[in-house]
Amino acid sequence: MSAVIVVHGGAWAIPDELAQASVDGVKSAACQGFSVLKGGGSALDAVEAAVRMMEDNTVFNAGHGATLNNNGDVELDAIIMDGKTLACGAVSSVKNIANPVSLARAVMDKTSHVMLTGSGANQFAESMGVETVPTDALVTEYERKEWEKHKTYVNGVMEDFNAQWAHDTVGAVALDCTGNVACATSTGGIRNKKIGRVGDSPVIGSGGYADNFSGAVSCTGHGESILKVTLARLIVSHIEQGKSVSDASQLSLQYMGERVHGAGGSIVVSPSGQWAATFTTERMAWAAAQQDELCGKNTSAT
Amino acid sequence: MLPVIVVHGGAGHIPRERSEKSMSGVCYAARAGYSLLQGGASSMDAVVEAVIQMENDPHFNAGRGSVLNVKGDVEMDALVMDGKTLASGAVSAVRNIANPVQLARLVMDKTSHACLTAEGASKFARAVGIPEVSQESLITEYARMRWTKNLAPDANPVESQMGKMGTVGAVAVDREGNIACATSTGGMLNKMEGRVGDTPCIGSGGYADNQTGAVSTTGHGEAIMKVTLARLILFHMEQGQTVEAASDVGLAYMKSRVGGLGGVVTVDPQGGWGARFNSLQMAWAAAQDDRLHYGLYAGERFSESLQTP
Repeated sequence: MSAVIVVHGGAWAIPDELAQASVDGVKSAACQGFSVLKGGGSALDAVEAAVRMMEDNTVFNAGHGATLNNNGDVELDAIIMDGKTLACGAVSSVKNIANPVSLARAVMDKTSHVMLTGSGANQFAESMGVETVPTDALVTEYERKEWEKHKTYVNGVMEDFNAQWAHDTVGAVALDCTGNVACATSTGGIRNKKIGRVGDSPVIGSGGYADNFSGAVSCTGHGESILKVTLARLIVSHIEQGKSVSDASQLSLQYMGERVHGAGGSIVVSPSGQWAATFTTERMAWAAAQQDELCGKNTSAT
Repeated sequence: MLPVIVVHGGAGHIPRERSEKSMSGVCYAARAGYSLLQGGASSMDAVVEAVIQMENDPHFNAGRGSVLNVKGDVEMDALVMDGKTLASGAVSAVRNIANPVQLARLVMDKTSHACLTAEGASKFARAVGIPEVSQESLITEYARMRWTKNLAPDANPVESQMGKMGTVGAVAVDREGNIACATSTGGMLNKMEGRVGDTPCIGSGGYADNQTGAVSTTGHGEAIMKVTLARLILFHMEQGQTVEAASDVGLAYMKSRVGGLGGVVTVDPQGGWGARFNSLQMAWAAAQDDRLHYGLYAGERFSESLQTP
């Protein structure tokens, strides 16, 4: 049984000055998640660990380093899903915490619900003893400056270039040594979004989906477009129809481009260990780690 | 065969004392939506109108009549989707407005976003001139009574849950062949504050695509989400299954894979429609070819003419 983890740090026109840090960031996250799998850990634990690492890394738009809404605040979304039981946890528009993916996991593990939003999500975080992090600690200088600049643009102009926007949501998919798959996705959303705007990331079937029978997917890109085609679930349905992970991803992203003119990317892993990282934006930061033998030395990280 | 509208007023276990009102409520909503369609209105206008009627009707778990969260507050979710463009609008955990489905439509029409939540949704409502209403105006005696019962230490929330009060929704195909869906709810009895169910999640609470059809769902929200029920049913239709078969397969899968019960109203581009459920009851009504069809229990299908004599 082959354990695999694939991570992404966002599909968009990543500028040269961020490129190296983005690639370093996804490689570290993939290694982190992979060491969980190597130790016999679950796919769920592995995707959570990988995404936590990217939330803590300020180069990505998730947790620390998140982008600001039009009020200058940080609102975070995340999802995690277990392919074995289809159990899922998600949070939307949660504030002042460092690791939304872990809060999403707590929603899944500790409540009878799938999704919590807004102040309800924050109250739950408090009840779980999650530390409150001041907004300033989550926001980078770079982001503040970019936000100030963008506030002066007319919104309409930016609409047409959704592929150029920062879409550096983070995510991970994994297959563990017991054959379980899982996915996780986390984001700060779009810069200057309306207060309370929820994109694809925390919406099951859009930002992510995991099913032991077909595979696990995490998506990134123009959130509203991903929602319109329920991209993660669409990719899974192609796999269910017998397509390879890469064909399923390509067909789905192509459809999203043609039907709703949206660009993005996806990472996928199948229960048999096939994986793909696919994107229709200019760039996507991604990394994968795979082991063909359970306790072997044949590891390859790209 | 066109136009057609199918509405539901919730799947579950509707107590006898409320079933009559649920039935008259769905019939009224179907008639309202249908008369718009007959007048040439779009399927989006029709589904929104049908759902607004049911939000205004205190016998449904949407708008006025919504269930209360654990703190005794009303938080509402809604979704609309346009099958032509796949545009959609949703609101989650919104408070103090009478018609969440209307706000969801405004999110779709007036913003570049697809979903607004909580305070952000309220802020947007104010910005577009939707009047704020008192929470008291949304709370019924019945909702308060059910909430109080569920606070008791030996209460069984899941058991007393199942659609005693119904999420509402509608699907329609208009004269032009455009397809739309809408769903609205107060959510789950005594839910945690901020709990969001399937209703405002595209692919779960509803989905519409001119090429395939539309679905609006009701039932155990978390189960519906896990299988993305609306999208699942449409996948089956894309594979060639009929509205009824696809709906039944989707519901059966939800029951066997994650143990949840529910119901759906489904429509295809030719005007084929279905109202299917594996819970004990679902209040539903459909209008097509000047006839009104409706039912509550499995197998029921009453029919009457819509022509005024």
